[in-house]
Amino acid sequence: MKPFTLVLLLAFAAGSATAYAAQVSISQKGKVFSQTELAVKKGDVVMFVNDDAVTHNVMSTSSGNTFNLGAQAPGVSLPFTFNNAGETVITCAIHPTMKLKVTVAN
Amino acid sequence: MQPMGIRAACVAAAATSVAIIAIVGATSSNLASAGESPMRVALQSDQSTPLAKMKADYRRPATIPFPKDNPYSVEKASLGKKLFFDTRLSAANILSCGSCHSPAYGWGDGQPTGVGHGMKKLGRRSPTIVNAAFGQIFMWDGRAGSLEEQALGPIRADVEMNLPVDQLIEKLKGIDGYRPLFQAVFPAQGIAPETIAKAIATYERTVVSNRAPFDAWIEGDETAISQEAARGFVLFNTKARCVDCHSGWNFTDDSFHDIGLASTDIGRAKIVPGIEKMKFAFKTPGLREISLRGPYMHDGSVPTLQAVMDHYNRGGIDRPSRSAQIKPLSLSKQESADLVAFMKTLNSDLAPTSAPLLPR
Repeated sequence: MKPFTLVLLLAFAAGSATAYAAQVSISQKGKVFSQTELAVKKGDVVMFVNDDAVTHNVMSTSSGNTFNLGAQAPGVSLPFTFNNAGETVITCAIHPTMKLKVTVAN
Repeated sequence: MQPMGIRAACVAAAATSVAIIAIVGATSSNLASAGESPMRVALQSDQSTPLAKMKADYRRPATIPFPKDNPYSVEKASLGKKLFFDTRLSAANILSCGSCHSPAYGWGDGQPTGVGHGMKKLGRRSPTIVNAAFGQIFMWDGRAGSLEEQALGPIRADVEMNLPVDQLIEKLKGIDGYRPLFQAVFPAQGIAPETIAKAIATYERTVVSNRAPFDAWIEGDETAISQEAARGFVLFNTKARCVDCHSGWNFTDDSFHDIGLASTDIGRAKIVPGIEKMKFAFKTPGLREISLRGPYMHDGSVPTLQAVMDHYNRGGIDRPSRSAQIKPLSLSKQESADLVAFMKTLNSDLAPTSAPLLPR
């Protein structure tokens, strides 16, 4: 197989895989998330978009979906895939008054 | 929710005919430069003025919030007050919560940093507990998510009150007078770590600042604060950008910022590692009763409010972790003085706090 064809096939395969997962966008603006609650399915990707003028962070210590996306400069979007069912409370380590409850269904 | 009249004077309902103030000669587009020459503040009737909108963000809440899993009761707050002021909650029987959070010093201790077990100096300043009921995260580095979670921390910390929880329980159970008080408030649990924490947290939530001249001013009493202070309020919200962090009626965003102080204490980065902006970051303190609570900053390194303004005017140490909100302000001496005058209007007429009779 020619290298060019292989690249095309891999790209197609990757596109097919992500096509099954939904992507939701959550904005961070005015030191609040655009929603306070969100329902997604296992495997869905949530894109966190920093629409503020200050650095944010997205993290959770909820069991099953523990993560920390680090520093998120203004204008930067960061994705997170929820791979485990359950309730996940998300906050910003810099501005902990920001809270988002994500319910992940099977 | 509990009416704020427990300790604080009841908050008057929003005035029905609030006199709205505008800055003479300043528009929304030039507010940022207001204060470069002393401006005059006068009565206007237009509620849509920028100043009126600014004021609206600082109105006092009418009630104190209590969590559903630890509701207020008179008996619980009374028990909590006894525990708060009881030095027997320390290993050496000489330190109580009130030693570092004393009503005599605006519910702090007036020292640059706290003093703990064996008179050892601690690394950070004792924060006030005034208006803690409205806080959403606690300690300078935010390592406690609730007052209940925070309450036992200093008691068991070996450098603070140095009393392990099991010894605390044993000690309190040995004081006859405490048993019926706990039984009355917590009949199912009695004396336990959770009930001690809940009682102390409930008392702490009743420590709320009273109405200050600033509150009267934003409700329409034009004589309540000076022209200098009124100019300071505008600067606070515009050129000086204090409001970026000191927001809302208690003047805090409950968030964490590196304000550029020289320090080896990395603060919140110990709790939430891996985020550059959390290095040297500490929680924004509220500003109510602020002139009673010096020295200032997490390490008590800044002696006066004027020196605080000097720090912010310089912008502190420029480093990757420094908050984007912190940068040189180019404030004039008059503007700095106006800001200090404004902050002094946040002091309320705190009623004396009586020491409780302790169970024996």
